[in-house]
Amino acid sequence: MRPAHVLFIARRVARNLKDFLGSHLLASATVATALFIFGGFLLLQQNLYGLLKSWGNQAAILAYLDDDLSAAEVKALFSEVRSFPEVDSVRYISREKAWEEFKKSLGQQGGLLEGLERDVLPASLEISVKPEYRADGALKALAARLERAPGIGEVEYPAEWVERLNGFFAVLRWAQWSVGAVLFGAALVIARNTARLAILARRDEIEILKLVGATGALVKAPFVLEGMIQGTLGALLALAVLALLFVAAGGELAAALGSFLPADELRFLDVEKVGLLLAIGWALGAGGSFFAARKFV
Amino acid sequence: MVHLFHVSKRYPPDHYALADISLRVEKGEFVFLSGPSGAGKTTLLKLLFGAERATSGQVIVNGRNVTRLNPRGIARLRQRLGLVFQDFKSLSHLTVLENVALAAEVAGVPRRESLKRAFRLLLELGLKDKHQLTPAALSGGEQQRMAIARALVNEPVLVLADEPTGNLDDELAGQTLRLFLNVHRRGATVIIATHDAGLLRRFPQRVVALQHGRLVGDSRPGVEEFAF
Repeated sequence: MRPAHVLFIARRVARNLKDFLGSHLLASATVATALFIFGGFLLLQQNLYGLLKSWGNQAAILAYLDDDLSAAEVKALFSEVRSFPEVDSVRYISREKAWEEFKKSLGQQGGLLEGLERDVLPASLEISVKPEYRADGALKALAARLERAPGIGEVEYPAEWVERLNGFFAVLRWAQWSVGAVLFGAALVIARNTARLAILARRDEIEILKLVGATGALVKAPFVLEGMIQGTLGALLALAVLALLFVAAGGELAAALGSFLPADELRFLDVEKVGLLLAIGWALGAGGSFFAARKFV
Repeated sequence: MVHLFHVSKRYPPDHYALADISLRVEKGEFVFLSGPSGAGKTTLLKLLFGAERATSGQVIVNGRNVTRLNPRGIARLRQRLGLVFQDFKSLSHLTVLENVALAAEVAGVPRRESLKRAFRLLLELGLKDKHQLTPAALSGGEQQRMAIARALVNEPVLVLADEPTGNLDDELAGQTLRLFLNVHRRGATVIIATHDAGLLRRFPQRVVALQHGRLVGDSRPGVEEFAF
């Protein structure tokens, strides 16, 4: 292909985009719809994962102490736990303190506790874990070690929830990629049919180009390039709508989630996911046009 | 320039558009392909520019065996040919100038040079003032001149025209034929398919006659007709 041919193709693409703007926008909107749904899944997954991480990071382990421990035994246990390499800090919560904190957390409904003994709640150690030991496996191992320690009855840690949520995320990821694959297939068929309609609408042009000696590549290349532009434009459109919705609804969502997810933890799609959506849009447009051009030109 | 050896074209199930045609057209000749509708004129031209493939026989054009060319080879061959059709085959969204320049651009000629060549031809063919219009704004005769300009823009070795005067009145048909004669005088080989007997009388040239897909006559001015 000569340089003049490259410029010829570029001019045809520019002209066709202008002359057939309506059908190009329709094709872009089709791609945008599919990518909006897929991008929505990505956004949901990313932020739920952020939420999970945020909970995991609040990695305090509560170790409830046996009722019959003497003050000396509590002190020894406190020192022993504090010496664990995973442990950042330890706070002792006596029965009285636990009672007060619980009552405080009930607020105006504190009257519910009337008639109950003040020592009804067990004393506990609130153990903060160093960040490097907050991975799911490490937390679990530490909790197991604490449970085996004499004087400790029961151990609770948020990673239990993290593990359960991890299972949920596995399902969500599976659903995301399944829906993504179906959407990709459907969008590819639609993109191919849209390109086919564009090719049929321009069959006179194709016939004349062939009659004056255009090679197959010279005739097909503009259609494929136009498809690439349509697909990329569709992806940008989907990202723009997602961003607008994110900005509009993000604040309210954070308020609704309250302390579960601080507002600054809500994040729009990261660079890799934006790149992924753009690449999928590009591939949809290019693939649809390529298959249509190969068959109908 | 053109050599056909026992060429047949059969369409399923068993219709022969051309049957056992052998024909030779030398470089620089001007030839009318004549015959009534359905005689096989258009099919023969299509075999020459590779729009159809012969069922049997060999078709040699400008030294290339068209029956064996791949699509790329056919595209290259067409860049050396000038094709003119009864329905002009113009692109309605391009200007007259761009329509003419299109063939040069497809052949790899830079845009600026293509437009220059196109403009020179439009000047010669009397369409200088119409070069910025779209084809729809031209009369039938003007559109055919535009199509001829496009056919000539790559200085073709062979011009093939299928009923180029079919949509024109007698006067315009005469003017159009004179354009083809000018092209011929410049050295191009010209083959024109027509069923217009009046045109053949007004412009005496070699006439190859077809009927029901068979070659039934080949005559030259001043030479007694040889009937098959």
